[in-house]
This record gives sequence, C-alpha cells and structure tokens, in this order.
Amino acid sequence: MSEIIRIENLHKSFGDLQVLKGIDLTVNAGETVVILGSSGSGKSTMLRCVNFMEVPSDGRIYLKGDMIGTERNGRMQYREAELCALRARIGMVFQHFNLFPHMTVLENVMEGQVIVLGRGKAEAKDKAMAQLNRVGLAEKAEEYPARLSGGQKQRVAIARALAMDPEVMLFDEVTSALDPELVGEVLKTMRQLAEEGMTMLCVTHELGFAYHVAHRVLFLNNGAILEDGEPQTVLKAPKTDRMREFLDGHSLFKLPD
Amino acid sequence: MEWNFLAVLSDFDLLLLGLVNTLKVTGLALLFGVPLGLLLALSRLSTFKPLSGVAAFIVEFFRTTPPLVQLFWFFFALPILVDVRMTPLIAAVVTFSIQSSAFFAEIFRGGIQSIDKGQWEGAKAIGMSYTQSLRRVILPQAVKRMIPAFMERSIELLKTTTLVSTVAYTDLMFQANELAQKTFRPLEVYTIIALMYFVLIFVFSQISIWVEQRLARSGEGTVR
Amino acid sequence: MGHNWDFATILANWPVLWIGIQGTVFIFLITVALGLGGGLIIGIARYAQSPLISWPARAFVEVFRNTPVLVQIIWFFYAFPILTGIETDPLLAAVLGISLNTMAFSAEIYRAGIQSIDRGQWEAGKAIGMSYNQTLRRIILPVAIKRVLPALTNRGIEVFKMSTLASVVGYIETLNQAKLIADLNYNPIESYTAVAIIFFVVLYPVVQGTYVLERMLRKAD
Repeated sequence: MSEIIRIENLHKSFGDLQVLKGIDLTVNAGETVVILGSSGSGKSTMLRCVNFMEVPSDGRIYLKGDMIGTERNGRMQYREAELCALRARIGMVFQHFNLFPHMTVLENVMEGQVIVLGRGKAEAKDKAMAQLNRVGLAEKAEEYPARLSGGQKQRVAIARALAMDPEVMLFDEVTSALDPELVGEVLKTMRQLAEEGMTMLCVTHELGFAYHVAHRVLFLNNGAILEDGEPQTVLKAPKTDRMREFLDGHSLFKLPD
Repeated sequence: MEWNFLAVLSDFDLLLLGLVNTLKVTGLALLFGVPLGLLLALSRLSTFKPLSGVAAFIVEFFRTTPPLVQLFWFFFALPILVDVRMTPLIAAVVTFSIQSSAFFAEIFRGGIQSIDKGQWEGAKAIGMSYTQSLRRVILPQAVKRMIPAFMERSIELLKTTTLVSTVAYTDLMFQANELAQKTFRPLEVYTIIALMYFVLIFVFSQISIWVEQRLARSGEGTVR
Repeated sequence: MGHNWDFATILANWPVLWIGIQGTVFIFLITVALGLGGGLIIGIARYAQSPLISWPARAFVEVFRNTPVLVQIIWFFYAFPILTGIETDPLLAAVLGISLNTMAFSAEIYRAGIQSIDRGQWEAGKAIGMSYNQTLRRIILPVAIKRVLPALTNRGIEVFKMSTLASVVGYIETLNQAKLIADLNYNPIESYTAVAIIFFVVLYPVVQGTYVLERMLRKAD
C-alpha cells in the first residue's frame, strides 16, 4: 500500500492552549480513517492541519512522501502559493457547508477548477456535472444554495471538493449541523466514495459509519492519539478506559454483536 | 417683500454650469475615493501591524478633521510643501477623494467583516489564494450588503462638495454666490439652489431607499 | 519636502487662535444642544399617529436632510433676513443652519431607536394603565436613547466638525482665526496643520469612546 499522508510529531497551540501534543500518523491510499474524540480533544484541529487550514506549531506533514514547507534553522516556513497548491490537491468538506451563496450549484463546483486549476470553462462544466451526478444532484445545477436542503448543500460541497480531483478527502463533522433525517443521504454519499477507493479522513460522531465503513478508527484525547486500529477492535474491545467512557456516552449506538 | 425669480431665471445657465461642476467634483472624488477606500480597508484588516496601524491612522484622521480644514490644507498649504500647481478643482478632488475614502474604508471593512468566516474557509479549502478569495468570494457578497451605506455616503459627499465654493471653484454654491451679487436677489438665488440641491439629493436618496428595500426583500442583510 | 516646519509662529499667535477655539466651543455647545434636543421632539413627532403632527415633522426632516448644510447657513445669512425682516449675524445664521440640520438628522436617529423597541413594551405599558405619553417617557425612550447613543455621539462629532462652516459667513472660530494667522504670517502649512491637529486631538478620543460604547451596548443587549 502506498502512503498518501504522513504526519510526524504534529503540535498545535492557540496562544497558551496546547491543542495537539505530538501526533504521528500515516494514511495509505484507499484508506478510510475515522477520527473520534470528545469536543476539545483536538480532532478537528488535527484534520485542519493536514491541509494547513491551521498552520502547525511544530512537526512535519508529507503528501505522497514530499514534505510540505521548507525547513530553515530548525523552523518550518510555508509560502502561500505552496499551501494553495497543496489545498487544491486535498478536498475538504465542512460542518457548515461553506458553499458560496452568490453562485449557483454548478458555479460553486466549477469555481475552484477554473480559478485555481485553470481548467477551461467547458471542461470544468463537464467535470462539475459528472460530480453532481455522482452525488445525485445534477438536476439542481442551476439552483442557488439557499434553495437546497442541508443534506443537499452538503452533497454539493462534496461534489465541489471532488471536482478538483483530490488525492485525499477531509470531512470535518459534516453531518453535525444536519437535521437527523438528512444525515443518511450524506453518509451514503461518503460510503459510496469510500467503496470507490477514495482516501478519506473523517472527523465524525457517527459511530455506525465508523463501524461499517472505516478501515481504521482513531481516538483522540487531550491532543494525542489514544487508540488506533480496526473498527471492530477500537469500538468493541478498546484498550483504554477513556475510550470505554467515550463509548458509554454514546449509548444510543448499538454495535452489532 | 416681493419674490422675483425672473432676474435669476434669465441667468439660469450659470447655475446649470455650477450644477454640472458639482456633479463633476462628486464623480471624480467617487472615482478615486472608492478604490482608495478599498485599499485602506484591506490595509486596516491586514494582520501586518505597521500596515494596519498606518491605515487606521489615516482613516481616523480624515474622519475626525473637518473637511473644510482639509480643503484649505490641500489648497493653501500643500502647494508650498511639495511645489505643485494647485487649482481649485485638483484641491477639491484630492480632498474629497481622501476624505470620502476614509468613510468608504469603514464601509468596506464593515462589509468584509460581515461575511461569514466559513466563506474564507470554503475558498481556502479549494486552494484559492487570499486575493482570489477576496475577489471571487468575499467582495461580491460584501459589496451587495454595502450598497445602501455606500449610496448614503455618496450623498453626503455630494453635499460636502459645496465647500469647494470657498476656494473659488465654480460649483453650484459658488455660482449662486456670484449670481446673488450680480442680481441683488440673494433670496431668490439661494432659495432656487437650495431647491436644486434638494431635488438632486432627494431623488438620489429615494433611489437608495428603493435599492435598500429590494435588497432587504431578497433576503440580503445590509451593513451600516 | 524642504519645508522648515515652524510652529513657533503659531504659538506666538496663540491668543489669536485661542479666541477662535473659544468661538468653536461656544457655537458647538449651542448647536449640539439645540440639534440633539430639538431632534428628540421632531423624532417623536415623526413617530406620532396623527398625520397632522407626523407630516410636518417629516417635511422638516426631508428638507434639512436633503440640502447641504452650507447652503442652509448661507440661506439663513443672506436670504432669511430679506424674507422675514429679521437681521441675522454670522453666529445666528450658523446656529440656525447647523442646529436645524442636526435636528433633522438626529430626529431620524431617535425615530429609528423608538422603532427598534419591541411592540410588547408598548403593550406592557398600556396593560398597566399608562397613557401613550407615560409609556413613551417611562418605558420606551430610556431604552431607545440608550440604544442610539453611539449614533448620537457620531452626530455630535459631525456637529463639532460642521462648526468650521460658520467661518464661511464670517463667524470667528478656529479655522477663521487660523486663516487670519496664515494670511498675516504667510504660514498656511503650520496654521492649517495646527487646526487639523486640534480637531483630531479633541475628536479622536471621542471616536474611540464610541467604539467602546458600541461594544458595551452590544454586550448589554
């Protein structure tokens, strides 16, 4: 299996607050990794460091073996152009969609292709329609985001990220802001992606998704990885008490025996 | 006392010329003031402290000093300081461009800050640079919200241009002064130009109210 | 920029400038009191149910908001005496122009403040037997005025800056005296810079104060 993302000794602080305290992680091509953890555990921050939405305080991040940034006198330096190019290769989907309200669904999905990748309009449109088809929203192409349901918005956001032909996808609590009845359609789209072999890192509270779809489950606590293994192991036979407490807090979720 | 508009109306073309010049100064000040305002706003929003500090100082300085003092400074003082030939028109355009840019800067800043942080993130996540995000995602949304405040400020600018009469630029106010002296009919002259300003500004502000209501109906918030 | 800045001349002429500063403060106090005070009355009138009250108030607001204040000052100086037979001096003309203009602007601020108060407050006042005036005075206005304090302060700042326009009709205030100093000593740079600095030094803390005030009010809401 080939390596896509490697994180070494990742630290992140906001002022005096240490959020990540040394994360090491390697994600291989085609893997679906679910990251669990209670709020404040640093799981979203870790995800956001992967595509440098947050710049790490310390540590190295490699995409396909290439280190991001340059090291000078023991400190990492990052150029904006380098980070933009990196983000263009990594798709990200947010809790609150962050669709552009002044553009139609189609324009949303075309925007990054045209402006960032420099694709021609026609090619971008074809790609956009293909991705909208994939998430089942081709018929909404000319609508504005305001006219869509939360679940539809999120699927458009996924299409927008996919249209960039990303090498890895990051999902940051993408179902947390949705009404319960809309969660399913988004999870279904994600599952389909996982089955097609997309490399995915998902921060989520959906234990069912973690159990059934993930190849690997991480549990973050207090800025460090506490558990890392197959879902059957981590979710049913955790090594740590902290993980057991966490699972007890999700009593609604019934793991199959 | 008897109203006599005839003497005034026979020289109405003088007033019309003044009106054209009033609009000319306003238009030129807008032309330079708006981009300058955007530049000041972006500088003030910059995380680079020296830049944001300088921008903040310029904005606050021009917002807290009287426009008439600024005009006198640019007309009487600047030419001595930098040895440029100053005409009333240039002094007026320079003064009102900078003065209104300070106010436009605050409108731009308010508009940009009113856009949800998630929009920056969405743009960033698909690989857009700061400039691309600003141009493609943030400003198109912000500008729409700023339109009412922007129009209100433009109307204020139009009113402020009356000050150029004090440095002998032939705007509507100045022409009125001339005509009042020539005809010995200050009551009629000043009443007529008050009316002219009223019609002009009233029409503009009605348009601005109409636009604001349309934006409100389309569900767009506005910033002050 | 080979200019030798010489503020000593300004300091030597300080008594001349000081007369102007006093004139500025004097006209500011009168116009800000009349403008913000009178504006409250017109703002309330503007909100009145009866069109006999609200319409004249509205007409007043539209006329004085939609004409430049300099035109108003000059009109009161040159035209008003002819129309009414009442002689106006520079002070009176400037006070009329600036106050009436400020009344019109602040009336709209007060009105917006009153309108921003939840209808339930009126009903609560009514329900405990208060009259319209009692409800307005005891319940609506205290909250409304607090809410519009930042906007009123901004208006006050505008009034202070507007006082320079009185110099156009010959009222003796700071800018007028600075022009005098500039003409006598051929030092327009220092003279007008000094005036700019004086206004900045006075108003900058006030502007910062409004920011603090806005934050406090937002928190309190």
